[in-house]
Amino acid sequence: MLIRKDLCVGCGRCQPYCPVGAIHFEELKSIVDQEVCYECGTCLRSEICPVEAIEESPYVYEYPRALRKFFSDPNATHALTGIAGRGTEESKTNDVINRVVPGEVGVAIEFGRPTLGMDLTNIQKVTRAMAKAGITEIEPENPFNDVIQNHTTGDLKPELMGEKVLSAIMEFKVKRDQLGHVLRTIKQAAREVDSVFVVDVYTRLEPGLTVPKEVIEVIEAEGYTRRPNAKINMGLGRANKRKDA
Amino acid sequence: MTHSLHREGPLDLLNREYVLFVYPARGFNYDGSGPKAKRLVEMLFQQGPANLLVTTLRRNMYSGISQEEILNSIKDGAKIFCVLEDREKIKDTLVKIKEMDEGISIVISGVIDRVREVSAELGLNPHTVNLSLGIHGRTDRLPPADLRQFTTMCGHGMVSPWLIRDVIRRVKTGKLDLREASLIAAAPCTCGIFNPCRSVEMLKDLVPLYTVNRL
Repeated sequence: MLIRKDLCVGCGRCQPYCPVGAIHFEELKSIVDQEVCYECGTCLRSEICPVEAIEESPYVYEYPRALRKFFSDPNATHALTGIAGRGTEESKTNDVINRVVPGEVGVAIEFGRPTLGMDLTNIQKVTRAMAKAGITEIEPENPFNDVIQNHTTGDLKPELMGEKVLSAIMEFKVKRDQLGHVLRTIKQAAREVDSVFVVDVYTRLEPGLTVPKEVIEVIEAEGYTRRPNAKINMGLGRANKRKDA
Repeated sequence: MTHSLHREGPLDLLNREYVLFVYPARGFNYDGSGPKAKRLVEMLFQQGPANLLVTTLRRNMYSGISQEEILNSIKDGAKIFCVLEDREKIKDTLVKIKEMDEGISIVISGVIDRVREVSAELGLNPHTVNLSLGIHGRTDRLPPADLRQFTTMCGHGMVSPWLIRDVIRRVKTGKLDLREASLIAAAPCTCGIFNPCRSVEMLKDLVPLYTVNRL
């Protein structure tokens, strides 16, 4: 994003809207620090500027800078996958798709969330650790595939190393008996990064909204604490359109 | 939208907040889902949501658009993101969704014990759960928890901690009331699940704790 110096009246109203604090005063005008900006577009969408001085940068869709846009602006549709957002449908459509079946667990590592974002150099520390732990395949429709150079080593594309994203989600699934190993690896990798990520796991439920005991035991054994809130697929979807049939 | 998992805040407020997603599945029930989504949105408007957004427009209820604009934007593949503030509302909504039987995936994000109770009361058998295992890494760099309870209501991180500080300042200096401040905070949320009703409650507790510089 950029703020046109010739138009800006220096009111500063746009500054609190930036989620990462990239806008500041310089010579009584607001300017966007291009290094800090994630190209999320929040300042522009807020329509807070009284003189319409906020604009998209002309080079925002140029590679590799475009990565910031695709992984930081929720309104941007990823150029290669055609999917808006950071990840796939994961648990949300599992009642229709059966992406994760009993005996399997879906895992997501949401880099940069909440709020801070993460640069690709730090993300690579985690992808390399995961590859070393045997996670060499991620969800095929996940836009994150687009940043990976080598799935076997977890190396990301070298030309992206100077870039950063507000959120990128690495999604994969494992057999239940692999979950402990995976969670242990994630915990170790968390010590190496200079930002934050959130971790979530999804699994098929047993009757009465009961989380399988084996999953809970592994989560607790690896020293993770579950939040009291969860996302629950209510089992009301289906693949065939009965009403239209 | 895995992000609705990581909403922070006082448990008593989280206990009465239910985020609802309507999610067509690519390649399975995507085609022809538009009219179904439209019927569901019409029903949801009648339930009085705390917030709502459809992904074909990507503007939430507080961003200056009308219900008609939201409804007119809906086409195949539209996803619906919505917040309901009350247990009876979510129950009534789920009863209606069950009756409508549109066959599109319905996801509730909320306190697991409350969703379990509601499901049992309505005879629903939830299929899959997504559990949050918390924030890892440099958590010392995060904004303070009292601001995160606002900012994590938009899981994409579009609600800035500086904006929350700014509305607190404007409330303290008498320029905004709690509701106005909450609507300003809700506007940048592009997922439509920032809950201004919860924001009002939280600001009520938070505003007295902050000091402001009037200069």
